[in-house]
Amino acid sequence: MYVGMMCTAKKCGIRFQPPAIILIYESEIKGKIRQRIMPVRNFSKFSDCTRAAEQLKNNPRHKSYLEQVSLRQLEKLFSFLRGYLSGQSLAETMEQIRRETTIDPEEDLNKLDDKELAKRKSIMDELFEKNQKKKDDPNFVYDIEVEFPQDDQLQSCGWDTESADEF
Amino acid sequence: MAEDRTKPSELDQGKYADDNVKIICLGDSAVGKSKLMERFLMDSFQPQQLSTYALTLYKHTAMVDGKTILVDFWDTAGQERFQSMRASYYHKAHACIMVFDVQRKVTYKNLSTWYTELREFRPEIPCIVVANKIDADINVTQKSFNFAKKFSLPLYFVSAADGTNVVKLFNDAIRLAVSYKQNSQDFMDEIFQELENFKLEQEEEDVPDQEQSGSIETPSEEAASPHS
Ligand SMILES: Nc1nc2c(ncn2[C@@H]2O[C@H](COP(=O)(O)OP(=O)(O)OP(=O)(O)O)[C@@H](O)[C@H]2O)c(=O)[nH]1
Ligand SMILES: [Mg+2]
Repeated sequence: MYVGMMCTAKKCGIRFQPPAIILIYESEIKGKIRQRIMPVRNFSKFSDCTRAAEQLKNNPRHKSYLEQVSLRQLEKLFSFLRGYLSGQSLAETMEQIRRETTIDPEEDLNKLDDKELAKRKSIMDELFEKNQKKKDDPNFVYDIEVEFPQDDQLQSCGWDTESADEF
Repeated sequence: MAEDRTKPSELDQGKYADDNVKIICLGDSAVGKSKLMERFLMDSFQPQQLSTYALTLYKHTAMVDGKTILVDFWDTAGQERFQSMRASYYHKAHACIMVFDVQRKVTYKNLSTWYTELREFRPEIPCIVVANKIDADINVTQKSFNFAKKFSLPLYFVSAADGTNVVKLFNDAIRLAVSYKQNSQDFMDEIFQELENFKLEQEEEDVPDQEQSGSIETPSEEAASPHS
Protein backbone atom coordinates (compact mmCIF):
# COMPACT_ATOMS: atom_id res chain seq x y z
CA MET A 1 0.00 0.00 0.00
CA TYR A 2 1.15 3.45 -0.65
CA VAL A 3 2.08 5.85 2.09
CA GLY A 4 0.74 9.35 2.33
CA MET A 5 -2.76 8.21 1.49
CA MET A 6 -5.43 9.26 3.88
CA CYS A 7 -7.20 5.93 3.61
CA THR A 8 -6.96 2.32 2.53
CA ALA A 9 -9.98 1.07 0.58
CA LYS A 10 -11.44 -2.16 1.94
CA LYS A 11 -14.69 -2.63 0.07
CA CYS A 12 -16.77 -0.68 -2.36
CA GLY A 13 -20.42 -1.32 -3.11
CA ILE A 14 -23.65 0.24 -4.24
CA ARG A 15 -26.89 1.05 -2.47
CA PHE A 16 -29.99 1.24 -4.65
CA GLN A 17 -32.39 3.21 -2.43
CA PRO A 18 -31.51 6.07 -2.26
CA PRO A 19 -28.71 5.46 -4.77
CA ALA A 20 -25.20 5.79 -3.37
CA ILE A 21 -21.74 4.32 -3.79
CA ILE A 22 -20.50 3.16 -0.41
CA LEU A 23 -16.86 2.78 0.45
CA ILE A 24 -15.56 0.93 3.49
CA TYR A 25 -12.05 2.10 4.27
CA GLU A 26 -9.44 2.17 6.94
CA SER A 27 -8.53 5.63 8.03
CA GLU A 28 -4.79 5.91 8.23
CA ILE A 29 -4.68 8.38 11.07
CA LYS A 30 -6.62 6.37 13.60
CA GLY A 31 -6.48 2.97 11.98
CA LYS A 32 -10.24 2.87 12.25
CA ILE A 33 -12.67 1.25 9.81
CA ARG A 34 -14.99 3.87 8.45
CA GLN A 35 -17.75 4.15 5.88
CA ARG A 36 -18.18 6.84 3.27
CA ILE A 37 -21.48 7.28 1.51
CA MET A 38 -21.30 9.02 -1.83
CA PRO A 39 -24.79 9.84 -3.10
CA VAL A 40 -25.44 9.21 -6.80
CA ARG A 41 -27.39 12.04 -8.39
CA ASN A 42 -28.88 12.49 -11.83
CA PHE A 43 -28.51 8.86 -12.78
CA SER A 44 -31.26 7.08 -14.70
CA LYS A 45 -31.64 3.79 -16.52
CA PHE A 46 -30.50 5.64 -19.66
CA SER A 47 -27.27 6.94 -18.16
CA ASP A 48 -23.82 6.00 -19.34
CA CYS A 49 -22.07 3.93 -16.65
CA THR A 50 -18.58 4.74 -17.90
CA ARG A 51 -19.22 8.47 -17.68
CA ALA A 52 -20.86 8.20 -14.29
CA ALA A 53 -17.85 6.23 -13.01
CA GLU A 54 -15.41 8.79 -14.38
CA GLN A 55 -17.35 11.68 -12.90
CA LEU A 56 -17.42 10.10 -9.46
CA LYS A 57 -13.76 9.19 -9.56
CA ASN A 58 -12.85 12.76 -10.52
CA ASN A 59 -15.22 14.39 -8.09
CA PRO A 60 -13.00 16.63 -5.95
CA ARG A 61 -14.79 15.62 -2.76
CA HIS A 62 -14.38 11.87 -3.27
CA LYS A 63 -11.30 11.69 -5.43
CA SER A 64 -8.75 10.90 -2.74
CA TYR A 65 -10.95 8.21 -1.20
CA LEU A 66 -11.49 6.46 -4.51
CA GLU A 67 -7.89 6.40 -5.63
CA GLN A 68 -7.59 2.66 -5.01
CA VAL A 69 -10.93 1.79 -6.55
CA SER A 70 -10.60 1.06 -10.26
CA LEU A 71 -12.72 2.73 -12.88
CA ARG A 72 -13.83 -0.70 -14.03
CA GLN A 73 -15.18 -1.58 -10.61
CA LEU A 74 -17.08 1.68 -10.31
CA GLU A 75 -18.45 1.16 -13.80
CA LYS A 76 -19.67 -2.27 -12.76
CA LEU A 77 -21.40 -0.86 -9.68
CA PHE A 78 -23.19 1.70 -11.84
CA SER A 79 -24.24 -1.13 -14.16
CA PHE A 80 -25.92 -2.82 -11.19
CA LEU A 81 -27.75 0.39 -10.41
CA ARG A 82 -28.81 0.81 -14.02
CA GLY A 83 -30.09 -2.75 -14.10
CA TYR A 84 -32.06 -2.12 -10.93
CA LEU A 85 -33.56 1.08 -12.34
CA SER A 86 -34.61 -0.73 -15.53
CA GLY A 87 -36.39 -3.36 -13.49
CA GLN A 88 -33.97 -6.19 -14.30
CA SER A 89 -33.39 -9.04 -11.91
CA LEU A 90 -29.94 -9.33 -10.38
CA ALA A 91 -29.25 -12.42 -12.49
CA GLU A 92 -30.16 -10.56 -15.66
CA THR A 93 -27.88 -7.68 -14.75
CA MET A 94 -25.03 -10.06 -13.94
CA GLU A 95 -25.48 -11.71 -17.33
CA GLN A 96 -25.48 -8.32 -19.05
CA ILE A 97 -22.32 -7.26 -17.24
CA ARG A 98 -20.65 -10.51 -18.21
CA ARG A 99 -21.57 -9.83 -21.85
CA GLU A 100 -20.23 -6.31 -21.66
CA THR A 101 -16.93 -7.27 -20.07
CA THR A 102 -15.99 -10.36 -22.07
CA ILE A 103 -15.37 -10.93 -25.75
CA ASP A 104 -17.80 -13.16 -27.60
CA PRO A 105 -15.40 -15.17 -29.78
CA GLU A 106 -18.11 -15.73 -32.38
CA GLU A 107 -18.93 -12.07 -32.90
CA ASP A 108 -17.88 -10.52 -36.20
CA LEU A 109 -16.21 -7.29 -35.11
CA ASN A 110 -15.85 -6.08 -38.71
CA LYS A 111 -19.50 -5.10 -38.65
CA LEU A 112 -19.39 -2.89 -35.56
CA ASP A 113 -19.33 0.89 -35.53
CA ASP A 114 -16.38 2.78 -34.06
CA LYS A 115 -17.86 3.12 -30.60
CA GLU A 116 -18.77 -0.54 -30.20
CA LEU A 117 -15.43 -1.63 -31.64
CA ALA A 118 -13.61 0.64 -29.20
CA LYS A 119 -15.52 -1.01 -26.34
CA ARG A 120 -14.41 -4.48 -27.44
CA LYS A 121 -10.85 -3.28 -27.78
CA SER A 122 -10.86 -1.83 -24.29
CA ILE A 123 -11.95 -5.22 -22.96
CA MET A 124 -9.06 -6.79 -24.88
CA ASP A 125 -6.70 -4.15 -23.51
CA GLU A 126 -6.95 -5.63 -20.04
CA LEU A 127 -5.10 -8.80 -21.02
CA PHE A 128 -2.89 -6.94 -23.46
CA GLU A 129 -1.64 -4.60 -20.76
CA LYS A 130 -1.18 -7.46 -18.32
CA ASN A 131 1.01 -9.41 -20.76
CA GLN A 132 2.75 -6.42 -22.28
CA LYS A 133 6.52 -6.15 -22.03
CA LYS A 134 7.17 -2.45 -22.08
CA LYS A 135 10.17 -0.66 -23.47
CA ASP A 136 11.09 0.82 -20.10
CA ASP A 137 11.14 -2.60 -18.40
CA PRO A 138 14.72 -3.28 -17.30
CA ASN A 139 14.75 -6.67 -19.05
CA PHE A 140 13.02 -5.52 -22.21
CA VAL A 141 14.30 -7.22 -25.37
CA TYR A 142 13.38 -5.71 -28.73
CA ASP A 143 13.89 -8.73 -30.94
CA ILE A 144 12.53 -11.91 -29.35
CA GLU A 145 12.62 -14.95 -31.59
CA VAL A 146 11.03 -18.22 -30.59
CA GLU A 147 10.70 -21.15 -32.93
CA PHE A 148 7.50 -23.13 -33.00
CA PRO A 149 8.14 -26.02 -35.39
CA GLN A 150 5.16 -26.96 -37.52
CA ASP A 151 5.67 -30.66 -38.10
CA ASP A 152 3.11 -33.28 -39.00
CA GLN A 153 2.73 -34.53 -35.46
CA LEU A 154 0.77 -31.50 -34.42
CA GLN A 155 -2.78 -31.66 -33.26
CA SER A 156 -5.26 -29.73 -35.41
CA CYS A 157 -6.40 -26.34 -34.15
CA GLY A 158 -9.96 -27.62 -34.43
CA TRP A 159 -11.00 -24.70 -36.61
CA ASP A 160 -10.41 -26.49 -39.89
CA THR A 161 -13.27 -28.37 -41.47
CA GLU A 162 -12.93 -31.90 -42.75
CA SER A 163 -14.09 -31.15 -46.27
CA ALA A 164 -11.31 -30.92 -48.83
CA ASP A 165 -12.45 -27.62 -50.28
CA GLU A 166 -12.26 -25.80 -47.03
CA PHE A 167 -9.36 -25.33 -44.73
CA MET B 1 17.42 23.30 -49.39
CA ALA B 2 20.62 24.04 -47.52
CA GLU B 3 19.17 23.49 -44.09
CA ASP B 4 17.96 20.07 -45.12
CA ARG B 5 21.52 18.90 -45.06
CA THR B 6 21.85 19.07 -41.30
CA LYS B 7 18.54 17.40 -40.63
CA PRO B 8 17.55 15.28 -43.59
CA SER B 9 13.83 15.13 -44.05
CA GLU B 10 12.04 11.94 -44.78
CA LEU B 11 11.68 12.81 -48.42
CA ASP B 12 15.42 13.26 -48.75
CA GLN B 13 15.97 9.85 -47.28
CA GLY B 14 13.69 8.60 -50.01
CA LYS B 15 15.90 10.17 -52.62
CA TYR B 16 18.97 8.38 -51.31
CA ALA B 17 17.28 5.04 -50.74
CA ASP B 18 18.33 2.25 -53.05
CA ASP B 19 14.80 1.07 -53.32
CA ASN B 20 11.38 1.35 -51.82
CA VAL B 21 8.69 -1.20 -51.18
CA LYS B 22 5.11 -1.20 -50.02
CA ILE B 23 3.86 -3.73 -47.49
CA ILE B 24 0.20 -4.08 -46.58
CA CYS B 25 -1.25 -5.38 -43.35
CA LEU B 26 -4.61 -7.15 -43.60
CA GLY B 27 -7.03 -8.96 -41.34
CA ASP B 28 -10.23 -8.59 -39.33
CA SER B 29 -10.97 -5.80 -36.91
CA ALA B 30 -9.11 -6.02 -33.62
CA VAL B 31 -6.77 -8.89 -34.53
CA GLY B 32 -3.88 -6.61 -33.55
CA LYS B 33 -2.50 -5.25 -36.83
CA SER B 34 -1.84 -1.79 -35.43
CA LYS B 35 -0.39 -3.13 -32.18
CA LEU B 36 2.03 -5.26 -34.20
CA MET B 37 3.11 -2.26 -36.28
CA GLU B 38 3.64 -0.22 -33.14
CA ARG B 39 5.63 -2.99 -31.47
CA PHE B 40 7.91 -3.29 -34.47
CA LEU B 41 8.46 0.43 -34.97
CA MET B 42 8.42 1.30 -31.24
CA ASP B 43 8.47 5.08 -31.14
CA SER B 44 10.87 5.42 -34.00
CA PHE B 45 8.14 5.73 -36.57
CA GLN B 46 8.00 8.88 -38.60
CA PRO B 47 5.78 11.57 -37.16
CA GLN B 48 4.54 12.36 -40.66
CA GLN B 49 2.36 9.30 -40.56
CA LEU B 50 -0.87 9.72 -42.36
CA SER B 51 -3.67 8.69 -40.14
CA THR B 52 -7.31 8.16 -40.87
CA TYR B 53 -9.75 5.71 -39.48
CA ALA B 54 -9.31 3.58 -42.53
CA LEU B 55 -5.59 3.64 -43.01
CA THR B 56 -2.39 4.48 -41.21
CA LEU B 57 0.73 4.87 -43.24
CA TYR B 58 4.07 4.26 -41.58
CA LYS B 59 7.42 5.05 -43.13
CA HIS B 60 10.37 2.95 -42.16
CA THR B 61 13.96 2.69 -43.31
CA ALA B 62 15.56 -0.74 -43.35
CA MET B 63 18.87 -2.21 -44.43
CA VAL B 64 18.71 -5.28 -46.62
CA ASP B 65 22.00 -6.76 -47.88
CA GLY B 66 23.77 -3.46 -47.44
CA LYS B 67 21.12 -1.49 -49.25
CA THR B 68 18.88 1.17 -47.80
CA ILE B 69 15.26 0.31 -48.31
CA LEU B 70 12.44 2.72 -47.71
CA VAL B 71 9.38 0.81 -46.56
CA ASP B 72 5.81 2.06 -46.67
CA PHE B 73 3.64 0.08 -44.31
CA TRP B 74 -0.06 0.37 -45.02
CA ASP B 75 -1.98 -0.54 -41.91
CA THR B 76 -5.58 -0.97 -42.91
CA ALA B 77 -8.70 -1.16 -40.77
CA GLY B 78 -10.69 -4.37 -40.82
CA GLN B 79 -14.10 -2.75 -40.59
CA GLU B 80 -16.44 -3.64 -43.40
CA ARG B 81 -17.48 -0.09 -44.18
CA PHE B 82 -14.03 0.57 -45.60
CA GLN B 83 -14.24 -2.24 -48.10
CA SER B 84 -14.88 0.04 -51.05
CA MET B 85 -11.45 1.60 -50.63
CA ARG B 86 -9.45 -1.59 -50.53
CA ALA B 87 -8.43 -1.58 -54.18
CA SER B 88 -6.05 1.26 -53.45
CA TYR B 89 -4.47 -0.63 -50.55
CA TYR B 90 -3.54 -3.53 -52.77
CA HIS B 91 -2.31 -1.36 -55.58
CA LYS B 92 1.42 -1.89 -56.17
CA ALA B 93 1.95 -3.71 -52.89
CA HIS B 94 5.07 -5.91 -52.74
CA ALA B 95 4.21 -8.09 -49.77
CA CYS B 96 1.31 -8.78 -47.48
CA ILE B 97 1.05 -9.55 -43.77
CA MET B 98 -2.26 -11.27 -43.04
CA VAL B 99 -3.22 -11.46 -39.38
CA PHE B 100 -5.73 -13.46 -37.35
CA ASP B 101 -6.45 -13.58 -33.61
CA VAL B 102 -5.78 -17.00 -32.03
CA GLN B 103 -8.57 -16.32 -29.56
CA ARG B 104 -11.27 -15.79 -32.17
CA LYS B 105 -12.14 -18.46 -34.70
CA VAL B 106 -14.05 -16.01 -36.95
CA THR B 107 -10.87 -14.12 -37.67
CA TYR B 108 -9.22 -17.35 -38.82
CA LYS B 109 -12.21 -18.32 -40.94
CA ASN B 110 -12.23 -14.88 -42.57
CA LEU B 111 -8.67 -15.37 -43.79
CA SER B 112 -10.06 -17.07 -46.87
CA THR B 113 -12.03 -13.94 -47.76
CA TRP B 114 -9.00 -11.71 -47.22
CA TYR B 115 -6.82 -14.05 -49.22
CA THR B 116 -9.24 -14.25 -52.14
CA GLU B 117 -9.44 -10.47 -52.25
CA LEU B 118 -5.66 -10.16 -52.07
CA ARG B 119 -5.15 -12.59 -54.96
CA GLU B 120 -7.72 -10.80 -57.06
CA PHE B 121 -5.55 -7.69 -57.00
CA ARG B 122 -2.08 -9.09 -56.41
CA PRO B 123 -1.87 -12.67 -57.68
CA GLU B 124 1.84 -13.10 -57.03
CA ILE B 125 3.07 -11.11 -54.05
CA PRO B 126 4.50 -12.93 -51.04
CA CYS B 127 2.09 -13.29 -48.16
CA ILE B 128 2.76 -14.24 -44.53
CA VAL B 129 0.01 -15.60 -42.30
CA VAL B 130 0.25 -14.36 -38.73
CA ALA B 131 -1.29 -15.96 -35.64
CA ASN B 132 -1.30 -13.08 -33.14
CA LYS B 133 -1.93 -12.96 -29.36
CA ILE B 134 -0.14 -16.20 -28.51
CA ASP B 135 0.54 -14.69 -25.09
CA ALA B 136 -3.14 -15.28 -24.35
CA ASP B 137 -2.88 -19.01 -25.11
CA ILE B 138 0.56 -20.44 -25.75
CA ASN B 139 -0.91 -23.89 -26.53
CA VAL B 140 -1.97 -22.77 -29.97
CA THR B 141 1.66 -22.85 -31.01
CA GLN B 142 1.46 -26.64 -30.70
CA LYS B 143 -1.37 -26.87 -33.18
CA SER B 144 -1.61 -27.04 -36.92
CA PHE B 145 -3.48 -24.47 -38.99
CA ASN B 146 -4.42 -25.83 -42.39
CA PHE B 147 -5.09 -22.50 -44.04
CA ALA B 148 -1.40 -21.69 -44.27
CA LYS B 149 -0.56 -25.21 -45.41
CA LYS B 150 -3.24 -25.28 -48.06
CA PHE B 151 -1.86 -22.21 -49.81
CA SER B 152 1.78 -22.98 -48.92
CA LEU B 153 2.11 -19.77 -46.95
CA PRO B 154 4.52 -19.29 -44.07
CA LEU B 155 2.83 -19.13 -40.66
CA TYR B 156 4.25 -17.02 -37.83
CA PHE B 157 3.20 -17.29 -34.19
CA VAL B 158 3.52 -13.85 -32.63
CA SER B 159 2.45 -11.61 -29.78
CA ALA B 160 2.28 -7.84 -30.06
CA ALA B 161 1.97 -7.77 -26.28
CA ASP B 162 5.13 -9.61 -25.24
CA GLY B 163 6.92 -9.12 -28.56
CA THR B 164 7.47 -12.75 -29.56
CA ASN B 165 8.57 -12.97 -33.21
CA VAL B 166 7.30 -9.50 -34.11
CA VAL B 167 10.63 -8.09 -35.28
CA LYS B 168 11.43 -11.28 -37.18
CA LEU B 169 8.04 -11.14 -38.89
CA PHE B 170 8.50 -7.60 -40.17
CA ASN B 171 12.11 -8.05 -41.17
CA ASP B 172 11.24 -11.19 -43.11
CA ALA B 173 8.32 -9.39 -44.77
CA ILE B 174 10.66 -6.59 -45.86
CA ARG B 175 13.10 -9.12 -47.34
CA LEU B 176 10.32 -10.88 -49.20
CA ALA B 177 9.02 -7.57 -50.54
CA VAL B 178 12.45 -6.52 -51.76
CA SER B 179 13.16 -9.82 -53.44
CA TYR B 180 9.71 -9.87 -55.01
CA LYS B 181 10.27 -6.42 -56.42
CA GLN B 182 13.70 -7.33 -57.76
CA ASN B 183 12.69 -10.65 -59.23
CA SER B 184 9.27 -9.92 -60.57
CA GLN B 185 10.21 -10.29 -64.19
CA ASP B 186 6.49 -10.40 -64.68
CA PHE B 187 6.74 -7.55 -67.08
CA MET B 188 3.38 -8.20 -68.68
CA ASP B 189 1.79 -8.39 -65.29
CA GLU B 190 3.17 -4.96 -64.48
CA ILE B 191 1.84 -3.44 -67.66
CA PHE B 192 -1.47 -5.10 -67.15
CA GLN B 193 -1.62 -3.66 -63.67
CA GLU B 194 -0.71 -0.23 -64.95
CA LEU B 195 -3.55 -0.27 -67.43
CA GLU B 196 -6.01 -1.68 -64.99
CA ASN B 197 -5.18 0.84 -62.36
CA PHE B 198 -4.78 3.80 -64.62
CA LYS B 199 -7.62 5.72 -63.08
CA LEU B 200 -6.67 4.68 -59.62
CA GLU B 201 -3.11 5.78 -60.18
CA GLN B 202 -4.15 9.35 -60.86
CA GLU B 203 -6.03 9.54 -57.65
CA GLU B 204 -3.44 7.93 -55.58
CA GLU B 205 -0.28 9.49 -56.83
CA ASP B 206 -0.14 12.14 -54.18
CA VAL B 207 -0.89 9.98 -51.21
CA PRO B 208 2.39 10.41 -49.33
CA ASP B 209 1.88 14.14 -49.63
CA GLN B 210 0.50 15.72 -46.50
CA GLU B 211 -1.99 18.11 -48.08
CA GLN B 212 -3.45 15.30 -50.09
CA SER B 213 -4.42 13.18 -47.15
CA GLY B 214 -8.05 13.87 -47.97
CA SER B 215 -7.83 11.90 -51.16
CA ILE B 216 -7.33 8.68 -49.31
CA GLU B 217 -10.37 9.16 -47.16
CA THR B 218 -12.63 9.42 -50.14
CA PRO B 219 -13.85 6.01 -51.19
CA SER B 220 -13.78 6.04 -54.94
CA GLU B 221 -16.17 4.10 -57.07
CA GLU B 222 -13.58 3.46 -59.74
CA ALA B 223 -11.21 2.10 -57.16
CA ALA B 224 -13.82 -0.33 -56.00
CA SER B 225 -14.19 -2.04 -59.34
CA PRO B 226 -11.04 -2.07 -61.40
CA HIS B 227 -12.41 -4.91 -63.49
CA SER B 228 -15.31 -2.96 -64.93
N1 LIG C 1 -3.30 -10.29 -25.37
C1 LIG C 1 -3.02 -9.63 -26.50
N2 LIG C 1 -3.87 -8.68 -26.95
C2 LIG C 1 -3.55 -8.04 -28.08
C3 LIG C 1 -2.39 -8.34 -28.82
N3 LIG C 1 -2.36 -7.52 -29.92
C4 LIG C 1 -3.46 -6.74 -29.83
N4 LIG C 1 -4.20 -7.03 -28.74
C5 LIG C 1 -5.46 -6.45 -28.30
O1 LIG C 1 -6.32 -6.35 -29.41
C6 LIG C 1 -6.87 -5.04 -29.52
C7 LIG C 1 -7.00 -4.64 -30.96
O2 LIG C 1 -5.72 -4.42 -31.52
P1 LIG C 1 -5.51 -3.42 -32.75
O3 LIG C 1 -4.06 -3.38 -33.03
O4 LIG C 1 -6.22 -2.16 -32.53
O5 LIG C 1 -6.26 -4.25 -33.89
P2 LIG C 1 -6.33 -3.93 -35.46
O6 LIG C 1 -6.14 -5.22 -36.17
O7 LIG C 1 -5.42 -2.82 -35.82
O8 LIG C 1 -7.86 -3.50 -35.62
P3 LIG C 1 -8.53 -2.55 -36.73
O9 LIG C 1 -7.61 -1.41 -37.00
O10 LIG C 1 -9.83 -2.12 -36.11
O11 LIG C 1 -8.79 -3.39 -37.94
C8 LIG C 1 -5.91 -4.14 -28.76
O12 LIG C 1 -6.64 -3.10 -28.15
C9 LIG C 1 -5.27 -5.03 -27.75
O13 LIG C 1 -5.95 -4.95 -26.52
C10 LIG C 1 -1.52 -9.37 -28.34
O14 LIG C 1 -0.49 -9.72 -28.91
N5 LIG C 1 -1.90 -9.98 -27.18
MG1 LIG D 1 -5.74 -0.90 -36.63
